Amino acid sequence: MSRIARELQKPVRLDSSFDSRVMGAVRKLPKHSRFGLWSRLTTPRSVMVSPLSWGLAAAAVAVFAVMGTVNLAGDVSRTAAPLFSSSAKAQPQRVQFVLVAPDAKKVAVVGDFNGWDASHAAYQAQHRGGGVWSVTAPVPLGHHRYSFVVDDSLWMPDPTAPRATDNDFGVANSAIVVSNQE
Amino acid sequence: MEGSSDAVIVARVLRGDVEVFRVLVERYRDRYARYAIHMLGNREDAEEALQDAFTRAYRSLARCEDPERFGAWLFRILINRCRTMGARRGRRARTFVVDEGALLEAAVEHPADRGAWREEIDRALDRLRPEQREAFLLKYVEELGYDEMSRLTGVGVSALKMRVMRACDRLRELLSEVQSA
Repeated sequence: MSRIARELQKPVRLDSSFDSRVMGAVRKLPKHSRFGLWSRLTTPRSVMVSPLSWGLAAAAVAVFAVMGTVNLAGDVSRTAAPLFSSSAKAQPQRVQFVLVAPDAKKVAVVGDFNGWDASHAAYQAQHRGGGVWSVTAPVPLGHHRYSFVVDDSLWMPDPTAPRATDNDFGVANSAIVVSNQE
Repeated sequence: MEGSSDAVIVARVLRGDVEVFRVLVERYRDRYARYAIHMLGNREDAEEALQDAFTRAYRSLARCEDPERFGAWLFRILINRCRTMGARRGRRARTFVVDEGALLEAAVEHPADRGAWREEIDRALDRLRPEQREAFLLKYVEELGYDEMSRLTGVGVSALKMRVMRACDRLRELLSEVQSA
């Protein structure tokens, strides 16, 4: 049997015209929109919460409120500086992203500054305890759009940040303005 | 996006980025083409089944419950497409696939001998009952465990073991006839 299996396990290669045919067929189908995902996220559903996890979540919100206050102060000082510096010396700024997600196993930040790539190593949030996830990562100066990706599948805008219309997908992401701190 | 997980790509497609779906096509095309070719017996039908599986997967992508396992979900769709196409084509003759590239690279035996051996395997495979061929390919060629096979096919583990055993017995019988002839 192993001899037969080895023979049948030999790789098969389809040429790239197959990909083109599939993509041609796919493009003719109705395009998915984030509204479908959005409606799934916003559809009311029953959630079972144990008293213990509810307490942890409340504690996390308290921690988050304190961190948010600190960040807000930092944001105010940053946005008070010139928004678009023409200086060639302008360096990306370190920005802290924070999300409270008690049930998450993984949280990443995606945005136009990292190609919306949730696998980018520098934008993987670390669990700080109590359901609070954060990462401090470089973001170039200017206006940016971003979201969190929870468990590699759930896209969430930052609940603490303003929303920006996403021209690519037609719905809101979070908005951030990064300016030179000097 | 090539290094991204399936779940990340699925999320991008669901956000409307159709072109990213190509990464999933490139990722699973060759491996699943092999299964479809062995199952259906010719490349033309196999490519049709595989293309159909990809387009159905795209259309139903929002219903993929575990995007991290998109590949397994796609394989399940393909298995069903192969069953449907296999039943539909019915009496149509199978054309046996010989990978000429592999034959040229193989120097162990005379290419003509290898070609004949491969042709006999394909012919024997074709003579198996479809459900036995499916079980044999999943177990021995795709090297899946019985639990995974059961999830993919919807068939119980005991029935799958029986099908694999009968497929092996039948293949041994058919191929020993060839070798003794």
